[in-house]
Amino acid sequence: MKQIILSTTFFFLCSSFVVAQEEADAILGVWESGSGKARIKIDKSGELYYGRIVWLREPKDENGKPKVDKNNPDEKLRNKPLLGYRMLKNFSFVGDKTWEDGTIYDPENGSTYSCTIEMKNKNTLDVRGFIGVSLFGRTDVWKRVTIKKRS
Amino acid sequence: MRILGVLWLSFCTVQSFAQEPDTTIVDDDYIEEDFSIYADVEIAGGGKRFCTSKVFDQSPNKLVSLGWDFQGSHTLTLDELGDSPAQDLEVQSVQGFRFGANFPVVSKTNILINLGVNYWESHYRIDNRDQHPLAQALQARALRTSGVLATVFKPLNETHFILFQGAANLSGDYFFPDFQSLNLTRYSATFIYGWKKHDRLLYGFGLTRTYRIGEANYVPVLLYNYTFPSRKWGIEAVFPARANLRRSFSSRSLAFIGYELEGQSYRMGSIQGLDGIADPELRRSELRIRATFEHSLKDFIWVSAQLGLRYNWNFNLDDGDLFRGFGDEDYALENDLTNALYFTISLNLVSP
Repeated sequence: MKQIILSTTFFFLCSSFVVAQEEADAILGVWESGSGKARIKIDKSGELYYGRIVWLREPKDENGKPKVDKNNPDEKLRNKPLLGYRMLKNFSFVGDKTWEDGTIYDPENGSTYSCTIEMKNKNTLDVRGFIGVSLFGRTDVWKRVTIKKRS
Repeated sequence: MRILGVLWLSFCTVQSFAQEPDTTIVDDDYIEEDFSIYADVEIAGGGKRFCTSKVFDQSPNKLVSLGWDFQGSHTLTLDELGDSPAQDLEVQSVQGFRFGANFPVVSKTNILINLGVNYWESHYRIDNRDQHPLAQALQARALRTSGVLATVFKPLNETHFILFQGAANLSGDYFFPDFQSLNLTRYSATFIYGWKKHDRLLYGFGLTRTYRIGEANYVPVLLYNYTFPSRKWGIEAVFPARANLRRSFSSRSLAFIGYELEGQSYRMGSIQGLDGIADPELRRSELRIRATFEHSLKDFIWVSAQLGLRYNWNFNLDDGDLFRGFGDEDYALENDLTNALYFTISLNLVSP
């Protein structure tokens, strides 16, 4: 009997962990920003979540060359390509379909903002970048995209 | 029973591994790979795409702005009022604070709603002001505008959008303990239907009810925001209210050359009843032709410096907030101002 209780408890602990992990990892995938200008792939490293640019609607600059991170405040990084750049950093899952304590980088002006991500449904994220407190911010709605299979 | 426990444990372990995501461990901020697979996608769940309200390199929205406006010396020609004859008076300066705050309260892909407040004041320093009651009122009480505004940007799809802006302002020679009646609130509104052709071009047509000429009028409006392919130059215009040619030196330094028509109708409570004028409304309107430089001091704190010529459009006085339209009814007082140089400097907290 004791074994059954122990096993049952262990089972529920395992199940809870799996469910929590599933909820946390629901953010993984490829997302399109509200403007449709960029697609971002959200990955995980350790317990933290990151997002990098994997597609740009206008991938070339005015000279026809691949866009680089020309507005980065760090001059050494200004010749780095925008494609592949990690613009979301260090997000932790805090429960209730919310990821916090991360930052979002805007390549158009080289600014980094505090950021919270809330999953409205499995295909929609509210990504709020803000300055200091959430009031001074803007929410962008990202949509999940699925990659079409190549024939 | 032991077997059952082991099975459950195995089940849990298998589940954990089954849920291990297909992730890429990111070791560096910059990753190189074949990104072409991300070009051909579809929105999960069949979502719809919407256009945004800005074009590339457009100047950033100001969440909070605190500024100082200063006009240099000029001559004020006042019409006869009561016992005071028509006369010319020297204005040494007109200056005052300008505060504005404008926050997005709803910021979704399919709708943006901003709410804001604004407060402007103009303090006059006039020589020999005691010779005319209007000059006395301008110096003693100043002109103030307090208002609220709301902006709604509603994209209909990837190309079309609707823009609505409404504002309510109280303008007059009031003090804050002696506030103006809310019945004197003046309402302005703009409705625009527009197209966002691509990331560098957005335009629209509409109608506005505006006090920018000092009194209420209804005029057609053209919204035009364009960034040239070089990304160094652009145009930001809501014609006829304002138009600017923009030069982008970087994402943190912008310069503009252009104009703005500014105006309000001010209830001059302090001269009420003089010369039989029951409801004096000072129709103040200025065309400001100027050069502006905006620069990010640090992160989201921007400084804006503006230098230009203030050209008088209207400084007449009506008895009541009558609607003249494009008619030529006489004013109760026909005043004039010579032109003046002005500058405005402001600190701004800009939007992400």
